[in-house]
Amino acid sequence: MIRVATLDELDPQVLKGLCKHLYTAFGVGTELSEPVSYPRGMAEPFDAERLLEAVPAVRAFQDDKVLYLTRARLKERTLATGNVPTHGHCRYGKDRALISLAGVKDLEAGLPVISRHALHVVGHLWDLYHCLDPRCAMFPPWTPSFDKGEPTFCTFCREKSERKIALAKS
Amino acid sequence: MADAAPQPPFAVNDRVVYPNLGVCRVSGLETLTIAGQQVSFVTLKRETDGATVRVPPGKLASAGVRKLAGKEEAAEVFRFLKSDTDKATLDWKQRARTNTERMAHGGLMGLAEVVKGLQVLSELRPLPTKERELYDSARALLVSELAASLSCSPCDAEDTVDVALSPPGKERPRRTAEEFKRSGGGDEDALGDDLLGMDGELDGIPTDEPPPEEENEAGADDEVPPEKPARAAKAAKQAKAAPKRPILSDEEVTMTMARAVALPAEPKKRGRPPGSTTKKKSASPARAEPKKRGRPPGSPRKKKAPAKAKPAKGKKGGRP
Repeated sequence: MIRVATLDELDPQVLKGLCKHLYTAFGVGTELSEPVSYPRGMAEPFDAERLLEAVPAVRAFQDDKVLYLTRARLKERTLATGNVPTHGHCRYGKDRALISLAGVKDLEAGLPVISRHALHVVGHLWDLYHCLDPRCAMFPPWTPSFDKGEPTFCTFCREKSERKIALAKS
Repeated sequence: MADAAPQPPFAVNDRVVYPNLGVCRVSGLETLTIAGQQVSFVTLKRETDGATVRVPPGKLASAGVRKLAGKEEAAEVFRFLKSDTDKATLDWKQRARTNTERMAHGGLMGLAEVVKGLQVLSELRPLPTKERELYDSARALLVSELAASLSCSPCDAEDTVDVALSPPGKERPRRTAEEFKRSGGGDEDALGDDLLGMDGELDGIPTDEPPPEEENEAGADDEVPPEKPARAAKAAKQAKAAPKRPILSDEEVTMTMARAVALPAEPKKRGRPPGSTTKKKSASPARAEPKKRGRPPGSPRKKKAPAKAKPAKGKKGGRP
């Protein structure tokens, strides 16, 4: 089960569309959880990793994946090989992920982009790594063509996620 | 009796890397009784899922168990990933062998070479399923080890790898076989044949057989194509090795030509030559008409032939 929790108030139609895309991509139930508040002592732009650690937990079963949505900006990361924009963050193979909608002005029109980023981070929760296929949602998200694609997986990533989901306990 | 095994080079709680398994933590030294003998093992626990691996201390080196890579090695890997080496082996057999060896050896640079090589190849054409799986497992091992050695999250470690491979704001390049040809240098034979992964099926065909276009070119004008000096040299060698024909006088040439004209130049064709039926028709028109069955009209009836005389009774047939 995928649980979607919001840190800001969002249009219910957008959330409904996002849940539909997640359900279509992974084939598991997706539902909205109660909204959560930002942790104290943190300011925008947020450090994605720290925000994900500090954000309050939502009620979930074992092996459930929780996706947090925020409209706040996330800080650009400085890595050993260069700077990279942060669209989201996740704990690989674990339970929670976060995406930022700050780059999307019109949420309804940008639903495919939001869904693609959501698929990307939730895919990492099921041990998917970055893909070689530019049409797949697991392609590195900072490439210019990423936002133009559909919220779908390639065959390899789809099958791998299905195998992982089949091993899950809930 | 406990075997006198050498002391393991790792202490408890050390982080080590087991080839093809990933980052493990040394959880202790155990002694088990196997077939009545007490054997000591180093117990490793894989960090991703907690799977247990037991290795005899004497076999740690041969199994390829090594210490976690340091920051210098990680920096070297990033330099390699950033470098503009776009040379990929197009011979699938050689590539599979090399990649399997790299994975079995378990070095960090070996994993990076597998990832980079297959990524470059994927820019030419999509990877087959087996290689896609190999790419995925190599990437997973590389990311987990880099995350452990740099003390960062796997998300950051993978992004570090991918920023090195394809920097932000840039699309991944689409490559062509010609680019590989140029980068490959003299690696001409391993190039075009393998694009469909079929070189193994073409083993029986002699490689030095020139393609038909080249034969035609050589027949039209005897110029040697400049891009094939090796083949030209080979052809010249063959020409030298062939027995020389004697030089004929004018009369001999004339006779030979006359014989060639008199004799049918083409091999004898089977079947009736075209137009031969009309000639035969003119030669024997009676044969051409279809033979009518039965008695011709107006001809008298033939008398019935008399029955054969039966041999007299008592007379024996055959020689007397």
